[in-house]
Amino acid sequence: MHVADALVSPAVATVAGAVSIALIGISSHKIKSIKRDDIVPLMGVMGAFIFAAQMINFSIPGTGSSGHIIGGVLLSALMGPWAGFVTLVSVLIIQCLVFADGGLMALGCNIINMAAMSCLVAYPLIYKPITGKSLSKWRITTASIVACVVGLELGAILVTMETELSGITALSTSRFLMLMVSIHLAIGICEGIATAVVLDFIAGYKPDMLYIRSVHSVKSDNGKLSKRTKIVLWILATIALVFAVSFTWIASGNPDGLEWSIAGITGSPELGEAKVPPTALMPDYNSTFSGIVGGVIVMVMLWCVCTLLFRKRKIAVKA
Amino acid sequence: MEAIEKTYRQIVYEKGDSGFISAPSMLVVTLLFIIAVLSVPVQEPQKIIWFAVYPIIASEITSIGFGKVFIKSLWIIPFIALIGIFNPIIDTRTAFRVGNVGVSCGWVSFTSIILRGLLSFQAVLILVMTTGFLDMFNSMRRLGCPAVLTTQLLLTYRYIAVIMEEALTMKRARTARGYGKKKYPLVLWGRLVGQLLVRSMQRATRIHKAMCARGFNGTMPTGNSLSWNGRAFLWLAVWITVIIALRFIDFSDFITNYAI
Amino acid sequence: MSHHFIRFDNVKYTYPDGSEALKGVSFTITHGERVALLGLNGSGKSTLILHTNGLLLPTSGKVNIGGIPITEKTAPTVRKSVGMVFQNPDDMLFMPTVYDDVAFGPRNMNLPEDEVEKRVTEALDAVGLAGLEKKSAFQLSGGQKRSAAIASVLSMEPDILVLDEPTANLDLLARHNLIKLLDSFHHTILVATHDLEMATALCSRSILLKEGRIIADGPTGEVIENFNVF
Repeated sequence: MHVADALVSPAVATVAGAVSIALIGISSHKIKSIKRDDIVPLMGVMGAFIFAAQMINFSIPGTGSSGHIIGGVLLSALMGPWAGFVTLVSVLIIQCLVFADGGLMALGCNIINMAAMSCLVAYPLIYKPITGKSLSKWRITTASIVACVVGLELGAILVTMETELSGITALSTSRFLMLMVSIHLAIGICEGIATAVVLDFIAGYKPDMLYIRSVHSVKSDNGKLSKRTKIVLWILATIALVFAVSFTWIASGNPDGLEWSIAGITGSPELGEAKVPPTALMPDYNSTFSGIVGGVIVMVMLWCVCTLLFRKRKIAVKA
Repeated sequence: MEAIEKTYRQIVYEKGDSGFISAPSMLVVTLLFIIAVLSVPVQEPQKIIWFAVYPIIASEITSIGFGKVFIKSLWIIPFIALIGIFNPIIDTRTAFRVGNVGVSCGWVSFTSIILRGLLSFQAVLILVMTTGFLDMFNSMRRLGCPAVLTTQLLLTYRYIAVIMEEALTMKRARTARGYGKKKYPLVLWGRLVGQLLVRSMQRATRIHKAMCARGFNGTMPTGNSLSWNGRAFLWLAVWITVIIALRFIDFSDFITNYAI
Repeated sequence: MSHHFIRFDNVKYTYPDGSEALKGVSFTITHGERVALLGLNGSGKSTLILHTNGLLLPTSGKVNIGGIPITEKTAPTVRKSVGMVFQNPDDMLFMPTVYDDVAFGPRNMNLPEDEVEKRVTEALDAVGLAGLEKKSAFQLSGGQKRSAAIASVLSMEPDILVLDEPTANLDLLARHNLIKLLDSFHHTILVATHDLEMATALCSRSILLKEGRIIADGPTGEVIENFNVF
């Protein structure tokens, strides 16, 4: 599910980044109004828990493969959507930095696809209405599975949209979408069952750990945004809008539907316009090969020079 | 699972010339670098290659060594290649010929994707290895990140090792009595993870007590700030210039015209 | 000069789930005294200890620290004079570096940064961890973690030290060093422990708890000899 740096364009990354910064801003603010003074250590440890829990796999019956928990719905069910969101964001950031799951630029996309969709959309709109305050096994199971599937599918659709808008990959939209949606349906069901099993365990073992059963879920109205936060949010929204609009504008520079779809496939709108026979030598590519070869040679030389240059310093540091 | 823990520890323990360049400066340069690399059109891999100047010089100057960074960055290739591999399959128009062999546009953009992935990952690796997580999270705070998130990052980062240890212990206990079965049936898995969850939450309560005992009132205190020294400014200025130059000047032109 | 005292006055505590942990505990620890709190698991040691700085408030009865009765209001003030070292140092070292951990308390007291630095340096010197400021908790050995946890409390310059099982999980050498370290302090000390050897070496007086009640209170040697402690 993680989108990699290499597959997003700066425009998409910026829009997604702006949106996710705004979401982090809002949720940081909401968390402050949660009347629960142990929320700070709780969120920290829960982030670590998700990290560790992902290492323990369960077997998926009949397939021979294994699955693990991802956690958005689970975290929200335990700490509420806002705290769950920030916790998942921190997990994504650490995964990005330590394991190269996704990249620094694609982080915004990943935050929206995974954290926001599960914690801020699937949990409040699906999980919560289904379970209510009930602890029944049946409700928890249904709610978890539906919420996880919807959260993941929304994420999968967004992944497709982001990759397509970035225009880096040549895979066609419909095929990519079909691939993503069907894979994530399976993953969603597995995660849903896993979430349900864990939540059911908690409901039986220590029900007051669940957010809806805890006294802390009583909403207080002092979660209103300050003026400064509002201004920042507006600025971010404007940036996102400007980028989105200018993006559509570039895209619609190819009015022909067919050409647009070709552009979508080949990865660049300009290519669509160049109506060259498929075997012809593209003018843009004249210097590509020699450029690559030359570039590699120069970089290797640079590396050698650097090694020689800074080796002295290294020895000096050691001595 | 053990492999994950090992990698985590490795990255956590291994630190390069920490503090050589102050963290905020490194963070800004890294972000700029990645934006610049990503903004190069996929049809021009020859332009992207030149961006390797940054990882090479930065890793050598901070005495990590580019070789190490390069080898670690190879890890990311399978992930990107998985999606990028469709380009050569679908886009078969010939871009240029080397001798008699035609190279398709798909392969050109595939090369670009791999290069983009490698370079941006290398930049992140260098950032992590030179500044370490702590300084990085602190500098995020300085650059305007909400305290809730930075505190959250610091705590998660701190307790991953602890909780992972607990998870490993539980897993070993299962393995010791599991008679060779490798995977967990769902119900057992649920109990295991539920147990881990309960332990984690209990730990959170204990940490909270320990915090309160030392005067915690809901907000984490922050102390010494990371300073912008002359070196950090110089680093920032030089790299901004270089990155802008790399983005807008096609150095491969010089090579094609004068060298080869 | 006897304001660093701990006084429990018929303290009872019942947990929210209904289990009675303390059933009327009374004692006084005077200034500069070192007292060992002995008892089996579940005898109420940890519960009692959490009462000394207001992390738990008695269901009935009174706790008085240095002349201040502990209530919800006074608890923050009391916490400045009672330094509490918990059983598991991993729970106490939650900050990114040893320095930040030791500075956590002083910073919460809103001290200026140069004063914080002074206190951190002194505290780390006192426990013999000078030079490890930049280390992270998971790079320390068990003994070092324990010392760091103690330093994180010392930096608040408390008058009273309360420790929960300080020698648990320590090897012989680390344990020996810890006892030597605690012996060098001049604080009023209350230490809950299973480690009779440490109790004998460190504390002249012992209190023995059983099922939430004090069943012996006197010189350590006598308490251990006359009662079948374990």
